[in-house]
Amino acid sequence: MKTKVAVFGAVAALVIANGPSLADDIFMGILDDTTGATAQLGVEFAAAKGDAIDWINAHGGIAGKKIARDAVDYGYKAPQAITTYKRWMSGATKPVIIYGYGTADTEALSGFVNDDKIPFLSHSFSAKLTDPTGKSGNVPKPTPYNFFHGPSYSDGCRAVVTWASEDWKKKGGAGKAKFVFMGDNHPFPNSPKEACLQAASELGFEVLPQIQYSLRPGDFKAQCLTLRESGAHYAFLANTGDGNVALLKSCATVDVKTRFLTNIWGFSEIVMNAVGEAANGVVIPLHVKPWGTDVPGMKTVSEIAKGQPRSTYYIAAVCTVFYAKEAMEWADKNGGISPENIRKGMTQKKDWVPVGLEGMCAPATWTAEDHRSVTNIEVVEGRIKDGKPGWNSLATVDVGRDAKWWGK
Amino acid sequence: MASFSQRPCGDYRVTYAADTTIFPTRASAYACIAGVVVLACAPFVLSSYVLSLLIYIGIYGIAALGLNLLTGCTGQISLGHAAFFGFGAFASAFLNNKLGVPVLLAMPLGALLATLVGLIVGIPAARIRGLYLAIATLASQYILEDFFARAEWFTGGAAGAFAKPPVLFGLTISGERAYFYLVLVCLIAVYLYAANLLRTRDGRAFIAIRDHYLSAEVMGINLTRYRILAFAVSTFYAGLAGALLAHYSSFVSSESINILLSVQFFAMIIIGGMGSVMGSLMGAAFMVLMPEGLETLVLMLKTTSWGNVPQIMNGVAFAKEAAIGLMIVLFLIFEPEGLVHRWRLIKSYWKLYPFAH
Amino acid sequence: MSIRFDLLALFLVNGLIVGILYGLVAMSFVLIYKASRVVNFAQGELLLVGAWVCWASVTKLGMPFPLAFLATLIFTGVLGLLIQLVTLRPLIGEPLISMIMVTVGLSVFLQAVLKWIFGVAPQSFPTVLTAKQVNFLGLDVEVAYLGSAGFALVLLAGFAFFFKYSKLGLGMRATAFNQQVASSLGVSVRQVFAVSWAISAVVSAMAGIVIGMVNGVSAGLAAFGIKVFPAVILGGLDSILGAVVGGIIVGLLENVAEFLDGQVLHWGNLYTIVPFYVLVIILMIKPYGLFGTRDIERL
Repeated sequence: MKTKVAVFGAVAALVIANGPSLADDIFMGILDDTTGATAQLGVEFAAAKGDAIDWINAHGGIAGKKIARDAVDYGYKAPQAITTYKRWMSGATKPVIIYGYGTADTEALSGFVNDDKIPFLSHSFSAKLTDPTGKSGNVPKPTPYNFFHGPSYSDGCRAVVTWASEDWKKKGGAGKAKFVFMGDNHPFPNSPKEACLQAASELGFEVLPQIQYSLRPGDFKAQCLTLRESGAHYAFLANTGDGNVALLKSCATVDVKTRFLTNIWGFSEIVMNAVGEAANGVVIPLHVKPWGTDVPGMKTVSEIAKGQPRSTYYIAAVCTVFYAKEAMEWADKNGGISPENIRKGMTQKKDWVPVGLEGMCAPATWTAEDHRSVTNIEVVEGRIKDGKPGWNSLATVDVGRDAKWWGK
Repeated sequence: MASFSQRPCGDYRVTYAADTTIFPTRASAYACIAGVVVLACAPFVLSSYVLSLLIYIGIYGIAALGLNLLTGCTGQISLGHAAFFGFGAFASAFLNNKLGVPVLLAMPLGALLATLVGLIVGIPAARIRGLYLAIATLASQYILEDFFARAEWFTGGAAGAFAKPPVLFGLTISGERAYFYLVLVCLIAVYLYAANLLRTRDGRAFIAIRDHYLSAEVMGINLTRYRILAFAVSTFYAGLAGALLAHYSSFVSSESINILLSVQFFAMIIIGGMGSVMGSLMGAAFMVLMPEGLETLVLMLKTTSWGNVPQIMNGVAFAKEAAIGLMIVLFLIFEPEGLVHRWRLIKSYWKLYPFAH
Repeated sequence: MSIRFDLLALFLVNGLIVGILYGLVAMSFVLIYKASRVVNFAQGELLLVGAWVCWASVTKLGMPFPLAFLATLIFTGVLGLLIQLVTLRPLIGEPLISMIMVTVGLSVFLQAVLKWIFGVAPQSFPTVLTAKQVNFLGLDVEVAYLGSAGFALVLLAGFAFFFKYSKLGLGMRATAFNQQVASSLGVSVRQVFAVSWAISAVVSAMAGIVIGMVNGVSAGLAAFGIKVFPAVILGGLDSILGAVVGGIIVGLLENVAEFLDGQVLHWGNLYTIVPFYVLVIILMIKPYGLFGTRDIERL
């Protein structure tokens, strides 16, 4: 009984004494989801973040200073993200940059980080995070401190839909191609819906009614039957990998002939391994090159991953860490590493590829007025080659920086 | 009969008024007031992290009390509490954003809207009991979740809804310090109301329904009326708590309104003690502090050399997930009456020290 | 407006097949309830245990599939015994809400443990059946599903016999009716609990293996367990036949709803939400379901 009180008291005391105390290190806060709803991606991101930072620290750090990170698994529960953030902000050393995770934490924290002025990198590619000043008129709140490397979900969808319309013309298809948007009724899949549907109708597709399928795996034969009967030629899958695995398998069983297009987080080597042959030909907008591409940057990635082949999710996180690294290096030379200087450091270069990762990351451009980092998007398809997941590059689509699409 | 003892040794109360006091002795009343005063001074001393934890405890405490009134006091199992929590949050943000209602008014109005929805669920639910009610509320949780995702005009759909901080006489209540006072005031009001409710005729009717509803009906208690009343009060509390959370985090999204949140509320009242007002707050405190405590444990493990191994690190991460479920099971097996029971045992131990019997 | 009956027929066949699978899961749920009046919210996790253990046996331990199947059944049977030993025995006699919450807590706990042991990435079963799919009444159905349907029918017959004629089965029904009277007549309540949980876990594991073979194994598989509730409410909480019938009805309802949605209404969410609406309606009109026994209240 007394031991219980003692233990509880000790834990409570420790809760109040919070945050790591560091001397000369740079404090980066990291949010991961390795146990929650999106853990399939989170495990890869978490590993990449850790490995990349270790590599940077082993190779001179940021102008001699090491990055000290506090990586917290928040289990995709927004309240935990908020309390973790509050813990960081009331510690002895505050983070100068936060590398967040996905829709849940990014949205929950966007108000706080923009008030407290801390740069926030994320793998949530929502178009609502692309407007730092509110110029577009399409976002509910300007988000000058949110950054992400890659095409927004809406731009990604536009890119694959554009490719699909070209593909239809090349195949000599008669009349209008049929397009259907598929996804669960949830914030993440709904994010690009408006942009997707408008892009499809503008490009001359016949837009069929949306088909809903769950983010969680299940038996989707009923939805696949609907898809088959609708005669859709192209379908955009807006869910994450878990639901897509089940859907691709179910649709292969009922012999669906539709060509599938997905969002960036809906398809990867992991999905290809789980699905097998049915994954052939799935189209995805990819802002990194996959493992094994013959480019100079592959060597660095291989060192970071210690030679073990990794998925495209891993490489995407490595790229983002290196962008943060170079922003911090710029800040160090221009007034010291502070959140404000890091934010300025992120907007310094055009068509920026981090040193050491040449060829692996799509060139990114952030400006003080426009946070759409990648608009020249490479569209690839998955192909199983000799039983192993592989990729074929299909086209490069420039979605442009049209003002009417910004922020939608 | 010493007026400052913890509880009189015999029961010398001779009037109904003395029997139905909220605080059993003057000492406990003073202790409670002292506690409130200490809490009121807290924002000047504590860091914003601890204040945010306390705000969460307060908000979840209000919602847990609602569930406790419904399940612990009236015996109606509801697995859909999170849906009403979310409804209150969205309604308050909607009223403020789209209809221009000032936030401090939008919050109780949002809670009232949640109550209306709760009545829509509760009126048919008055006919069913026990397990069937649990399943019906589970179904209503999923139906409401679907509604949140579909009703873009109400919830903002994919982007969620932004909620502005409340403004009182020109001062914006944002930031942990100011918001702490708002939550504290709401918490005290809500808890006093509930404690008072339980000592009135209506409260006794609730408990009678929980203990043996047939006898209660035979004695003249209108089951339907009181069940609906219980639903109404509980959903009002849930809606109010949701509104408070919405304006604190300035963002509401249907991502976090899921069945796991309902389970968490349930865990709070089980761990705290079902049917007990103070138990709701203790349960909420436990549920908020547990992940933080585990996180601190992880931090400590990271600094040791034997702990910083991937297997253990991985395992501890899952331990946070598993902890909720494990706590529920362990508490039900070893401490079915919750923390409140343990607290009472502690108090009586110290009262009789060193002559425990 | 013409209704495409050929398409509707396909949907109905799919509903029938998937519905029998739901019926299997519902059957195991009802088994536990019938014997011990415990509501098992962790049924989905038992499905998942079966799927993962079989997958691990086949891929990591290299067992041939029939052996892995048997091993999984034995393992989950023992697991069911252990669960009821650790969590349910101490709660004999406690109110209903404790029973419900224990299984809810158990489901959260099991989810996390399974994620820890088997990882979070979805995995697929290596091909174990020679023919992947077969044309059944016009629809391409996976062989695994047809196998499970056949198995479910065999189980149904077996359970009907068991509960009506065998000593243990009669003992289980007696225990469900009134524990005290049953034990005073010599029925071992502990044995009844143990056997019912073990059988239920085994049946769930079988369903889980089938689902895992067809759709891939991943943590979200446990969501199948939520479909149990509409099925058992429709069929009656303590009727095994009702469970299977309820499961089939839920499967048919879902598919008809998807048919209507896809062809006519275009709302998008009917597939997921219709079972719950029907559940609520049935609870209002006929709370004991189609085959459940009416609870007669005694003062």
